[in-house]
Amino acid sequence: MRSLHAFAGFFLLVTAQAVWGEAVLKDVEINHDPATLRRGAETVTSVCMSCHSLKYLRYRDLLDVGFSRAEVEAMSMGNKMGDPLLAMTPADIAQQSYGRVPPDLSLMAKARTGGAAYIYSLLTGYYQDAAGQVDNHVFPGTAMPDMLGWSSADTQQRIEIETQSREAAAFLQWAADPRAAERKGLGYYVVGYLIVLTVLLYLVKRRVWARLH
Amino acid sequence: MAQRLIAWIDQRFPLTTFIKRELTDYPTPRNLSYWWNFGFLAGFILVIQIISGVFLAMHYKPDVNLAFDSVQHIMREVNYGWLIRYIHSTGASAFFAVIYIHMARTLYYGSYRAPRELMWWSGQVLLILLMASAFMGYLLPWGQMSFWGAQVITSLFGATPLIGDEVVLWLRGDFVVGDATLNRFFALHYLVPFFIVAMVIIHLVALHHVKSSNPSGINLADKDNIPFHPYFTAKDFFGLGVFLIIFCGFVFFAPEFFIEVANNVPADPLQTPPHIVPEWYFLPFYAILRAIPDTLGGVVAMGLSILIFAAMPFLDRSRIPGGARFRPFYRALFYIFLLDVLVLTYAGSQAPGGLVAGVDVVATVIYFAVFLVLPPLSVWEERWLRARGLPPALRDLLDSATEPEAKR
Repeated sequence: MRSLHAFAGFFLLVTAQAVWGEAVLKDVEINHDPATLRRGAETVTSVCMSCHSLKYLRYRDLLDVGFSRAEVEAMSMGNKMGDPLLAMTPADIAQQSYGRVPPDLSLMAKARTGGAAYIYSLLTGYYQDAAGQVDNHVFPGTAMPDMLGWSSADTQQRIEIETQSREAAAFLQWAADPRAAERKGLGYYVVGYLIVLTVLLYLVKRRVWARLH
Repeated sequence: MAQRLIAWIDQRFPLTTFIKRELTDYPTPRNLSYWWNFGFLAGFILVIQIISGVFLAMHYKPDVNLAFDSVQHIMREVNYGWLIRYIHSTGASAFFAVIYIHMARTLYYGSYRAPRELMWWSGQVLLILLMASAFMGYLLPWGQMSFWGAQVITSLFGATPLIGDEVVLWLRGDFVVGDATLNRFFALHYLVPFFIVAMVIIHLVALHHVKSSNPSGINLADKDNIPFHPYFTAKDFFGLGVFLIIFCGFVFFAPEFFIEVANNVPADPLQTPPHIVPEWYFLPFYAILRAIPDTLGGVVAMGLSILIFAAMPFLDRSRIPGGARFRPFYRALFYIFLLDVLVLTYAGSQAPGGLVAGVDVVATVIYFAVFLVLPPLSVWEERWLRARGLPPALRDLLDSATEPEAKR
């Protein structure tokens, strides 16, 4: 009987996707220049981190985004450079206010389809329905309030929020994969070396096989 | 000095004769195409996976509270940990890609036939060991897809008649996939590669006994064999270069290509991800599992879809050498099968229901039909080919062969 339940459950899981549906994400170009990352980091540490943690980052990692040591020390509010970036609201209080602990953001840009575009679309996806309730196009029923005020902003303010969301998305993308730039930089050398090596190996093969007739 | 050392060793261990017999004098058919490179590549990836795996194990913690964090520790704080981990995760996909091509080559050229049945069957065991190792390794990052994938697949064993629940409990070590499961999967993921290495040695000993097959499908005269070294070492290393360019392209520029986004979310037994899919290399078999509405039937069909390859030497009744090359009907069957596997891969990746469910069932029927049609078709095809007169190229090959397999 239990195995029957397990199987029914398994089919339910797989069919759940059809019910879930997938929101259309906004097409957005994410810039990764140092100034963007720096402003994104400021938004994330001051706004998002009131509830969310970025526990796989440590304060000293912010040095890599272009902050000086003194700036990071000011942002860390008494934490040590080696301490993880934790939310300002303790988990139990967040649990009480929102019904769940807000998810850690360190990997968010890799944990959702669309990555940075998902984050940008979520932040600029709030709207007020007819009853005046705020909801989100990308994540209907989300417990997260409209922190940047998109749903009540006018056109001028929305341009600002768009920029802010883009920067936050860029920083979170960096946070999810801080080694991306190093990896790609190294990758050009590795693949370049391999191409030269492979051409040489091909010539060796040809010369060796030329002995046959 | 070096010569004296080698002489000293040779008195006690057959070093020089071994290298001569298995490498510098080892006779290899000169007409092998690049499709014969993939066995060597699979061996190379096995070494990569073992080395990268050992270094990952030095930093990984098989504990439900620490596993996900320890992977992030490897990615962010261990020196070049990101490189080691991406090599290992990309290596898993590369391993299957290479093995599937290696198998497709064997099927196309009929290399599974006498006297190479034991090579084919040891390869079959290797495939199953590889699948087991990949499945258990996938649990270790302890992401959502790791957890739910293991939960779904272990629950399938619940379909075992009479003792289903006990088997599932025994596999997991708990009522759900948990700490006990993670710990044992880690231990087994470290253990299985030893069996793989042992089986690879058996695979190679058998190979060096029966020697490589070749595109013509018949054993060549001595004059058509050339020593493995330097000819095939040179060819294999060139192939390795091409492989590494593609492999490193993924490792350095698209390392998350093979990682589901849901697996970057820590495992949460209380929250089911919207769409549970296995890794791409399991999709055809997963599609077959889903095509059968009955659990037990589905599990049996899935197991059979992997094990049925072992029957190939018996199912293929034709004595015409060269596999698909000289056999138009076998060739057609090969391409139908290949296409069918691609359709199943697609069906397995989609949410079930609707059109996909229908496609899945049809593709599953075709999958097994190919194997069932093969015995009568191969007998009929041989008769047809002989009545029609063998193509001149094949007749020449049969005439020039000192020892055609067809006469064994």
